[in-house]
Amino acid sequence: MSSSPGNNDPAMSCEFKENLKIFREIPFFAGLSLEAHKVFAYLCRRETYQAGDYLFRQGDDDGQAFYILSGSAKITRQTDTATTDIAQCEAGEFLGSMALMGTQRRLFSLQAKTDIRSLVLAREKFSRAMQQFPELMPKAIASLIQRVCLWEERLLTDPAQSCDQCRTKAGVSLL
Amino acid sequence: MTPTDKPVTQRSLFSWVLSGNLKLQLLLVVVIMVTVFARVVPLEMQKRIVNQAINLRKMDLLLTYCGIYLAAVIVAGGLKYLINVLETVIGQRALAEMRKGLYHHILTLPLNFFRKTQPGMVVSSLVTELTTAGTFVGMALAVPVTNVLTLLAFAGYLLWLNPLLAVVSLSIYPIVLLLVPLLQKQANKSNKQRVDVTRTLSSRIAESISGIHEIHSNGAYPLENKKYDRLIDRLLKIRTRWSLYKYGVKTLNNFFNNLSPFLIFILGGYLAMKGRLELGALVAFLSAQEKLYNPWKEMIEFYQVYQDASVRYRRTMTYFNRMPEHALAPADRTAYHLDADLQIKDLSFVTEGGIALLDNISLDLKAGEHLALVGFSGSGKSTLAQCVGQLYKYTGGIVKIGNQEVAQLSKKDMINNVGFVAQHPFIFEGTIEENLLYGCSAALAGNGHQEDGGLPSLDDRIAVLQHTGIFTDVLRFGLITLLTPGIHEDLTRRIVNVRRNFQADFGELLADHVEFFSDDSYLYHSSISENLTLGSANRPEFEPAQLPTNSYFRNFLDKADLTRPLLSLGSGLTRQTVDILGNLPPDEVFFEQSPINATELDDYKLLVQRLKQARLHQLSESDQQMLLTLALRFTPGVHKMVGLPSVLEDLILEGRALFRDKVAAEHPGAFSFFQQDEYLYSQTILNNILFGKPTSSSHQTQEKINQSIIQLLIEEDLLETILEIGMQFEVGTKGDKLSGGQRQKLAIARAFLKNPRLLIMDEATSALDNNSQARIQNLIDSRYKGKSTLISVVHRLDIVKKFDKIAVMRAGKIVEIGTYEELINQKGVLYELVAGKQ
Repeated sequence: MSSSPGNNDPAMSCEFKENLKIFREIPFFAGLSLEAHKVFAYLCRRETYQAGDYLFRQGDDDGQAFYILSGSAKITRQTDTATTDIAQCEAGEFLGSMALMGTQRRLFSLQAKTDIRSLVLAREKFSRAMQQFPELMPKAIASLIQRVCLWEERLLTDPAQSCDQCRTKAGVSLL
Repeated sequence: MTPTDKPVTQRSLFSWVLSGNLKLQLLLVVVIMVTVFARVVPLEMQKRIVNQAINLRKMDLLLTYCGIYLAAVIVAGGLKYLINVLETVIGQRALAEMRKGLYHHILTLPLNFFRKTQPGMVVSSLVTELTTAGTFVGMALAVPVTNVLTLLAFAGYLLWLNPLLAVVSLSIYPIVLLLVPLLQKQANKSNKQRVDVTRTLSSRIAESISGIHEIHSNGAYPLENKKYDRLIDRLLKIRTRWSLYKYGVKTLNNFFNNLSPFLIFILGGYLAMKGRLELGALVAFLSAQEKLYNPWKEMIEFYQVYQDASVRYRRTMTYFNRMPEHALAPADRTAYHLDADLQIKDLSFVTEGGIALLDNISLDLKAGEHLALVGFSGSGKSTLAQCVGQLYKYTGGIVKIGNQEVAQLSKKDMINNVGFVAQHPFIFEGTIEENLLYGCSAALAGNGHQEDGGLPSLDDRIAVLQHTGIFTDVLRFGLITLLTPGIHEDLTRRIVNVRRNFQADFGELLADHVEFFSDDSYLYHSSISENLTLGSANRPEFEPAQLPTNSYFRNFLDKADLTRPLLSLGSGLTRQTVDILGNLPPDEVFFEQSPINATELDDYKLLVQRLKQARLHQLSESDQQMLLTLALRFTPGVHKMVGLPSVLEDLILEGRALFRDKVAAEHPGAFSFFQQDEYLYSQTILNNILFGKPTSSSHQTQEKINQSIIQLLIEEDLLETILEIGMQFEVGTKGDKLSGGQRQKLAIARAFLKNPRLLIMDEATSALDNNSQARIQNLIDSRYKGKSTLISVVHRLDIVKKFDKIAVMRAGKIVEIGTYEELINQKGVLYELVAGKQ
């Protein structure tokens, strides 16, 4: 019988300061003030997931954003008949900013491939904090729009043949 | 108590005076008669003392008269008190009856009434405005009878003493009687305005407080201040005017009363000089005249209270003078047991503003059929559901349940047959169980049953918890309960028994999610004080909150070399936490991970200022206690703003051993140290089973632990007991300790428990995750299809396939209705909606 601080040992160093450093580097939060960064670094949680655990499942409205500290996960999409792997998610990636901004049922599942350590920020906390910094919302929206446009631009300019067909359905940035 | 057919809002103010208080009022009149007599006696004695006893120098007469005088004064005083007591009892009783009657009436008013009425307005009506009316009812008989009788008695006595003098000195009163109502009329006018403006003001306040988020997020302080200030300024003017008129009445009255002795001196003095009036009579006359002042003043005040009370009473009652749209209970029959088939024909619902929310809707449902209402928001789905559920009274057409017209049914008929789950269900303060039984208890109370008889059994309650999926939540609430020593002895024994099995079976599996209690290792998910004591206090002075001020414990900290490191840790915690949270509102979300509570933040902000100016050893004792308090609360696994230095960690482990030895030697029995074979009362049931603490409050950790625990609890036959405890969980005001999903599940469970023949669900599963939603949909298909009729307003198209009928609504009309296959094949609106979704 022993406690298992593992490499998640809170005693090793100050978790808050590490989180703060990470938040300052995530593009979605880039425009925010140091004061806001501190609040988010304080409000987020660290979670561990074992290989095979789901971080979120398709169809759920879990309202969380993740920053992967270590390990890797896969994004999958389920249909009535099969499950398709869509993409990989590696350490250092941040995903879920749209889930923070409003209700959204997941179109994909995120499943841990290896054991994962992750920062998790919940929508409830994010939105309460945003109420305290009303000037931040326009910046967050601007950052989101920029990223959506960038994503579509990449799709439109992707030289791969297979993208030609998808391009006929493009237009998210026109929403 | 008042078996009147008239609604409370139509009763006159005077109707309260006698109703229910007749005996008390009669007693009051008798007491008053005696009192008035006792008041006149001293006057006569006064005259006799001067004229007979003193003049004739008779000691025995002096003593007799003085004795009678004294007795009369004592009796009058005592009786006056008795009158006040009776007045108070009558007044307060009437006030209580008014408040009850009005509240009972307000709750039955139609929903659209409350769209325009702010809660603040209802509060001030019930709490403030009626108070004067109560006071008035208390005075209504007592004051006029007492004072008119007293006035008449004194006036009669004066006339008997000297008619001429009496007429002259009484001549002022008719003048007063003429002038006062003129002023009072003006005062009333202002008072009416005051009631109205106060009402607007409380609505204004209520609105801005409920919209405080919007105000903050828009920084709309100046806007809101301006609206509020304008009202206050108006109120200022009105209140000033009102008060001035009221004082005007008083001043006028005083002036004329003071004029009276002047008349008596001039005329009485003249008569006495001429020998036509005895000196004793003049003395009696003067004091009688003086005594006239009080009853007269009381009458004037009474008149003012009456005016004020009737203004407030009328304004309040008129405002709420609306009729409920449906009778509460059928007048001449028992409540129907309705068949559950539903007919809707040409149904329309037009708002007062003339907007047609429902337009000529017709559909039929056989008993047991399930109907899904689909459409964009604003298409009238919810309105249709609410009209069928009798929440809104439809303005045209027919809705029949079991061949009875809904508009004609009483509320009791409805609640006995219909279950309604609202879109944003309301959960009331109280336990889970109370909320679960809310519908059943209400139906039972309405049918005149005993309080507990006929409620669903524990098995039924647990079954419904399971069906709706709130089961695990309730179990969780049970598991995080702290048990009180002495109660649940049997349970604690069994928990200790299963603990060992649990660790053998699940210890390894849960190693990542549980930190087990252990004598030899530091517990990162327990506070420093728990790490030091590793036990539960058996004496109040050793409770964790008392430790920073407990001198025995402080000595121990000194001896273990812990005081300075802990002060330093406390100082770091204070500075970091205030830095992060200093400008945030006292919102529970922000303080979950903070060692400083929301209420303490301001104190610690000031402490940060002092920390900047002083070294640790220079701090005052109380500042040091504040730092120690934080340090002892510090739990590295929860409070992430600072790290735990490894030196301190070692010191604390050493301190733990020292503390145990010290307490064993010096205060044996003060602590129960954590042991495998003892129940830990300072820890939750869950921690007791785990003999440790969960390392995270996250959903996945909870789920992992739950899986193992449920299995164990079923094996050990403890599940029901824990659920029973969990059902006693207090959900907080408006259920704010529950998540949105939990509130919806509880609301669905509460409707299911009633087992209604017609179930109406208005987007009842909108806050649920996929699994919970599917679970409830399956339950509805398997248990209710063919048994209960269902109307479900549906916000997600993927669950409509299994419904018997689907009605697609647009702009208040049903544009198509049929089975899923029919509608998809006909490629109409539903087809477009489904296709558009993909």
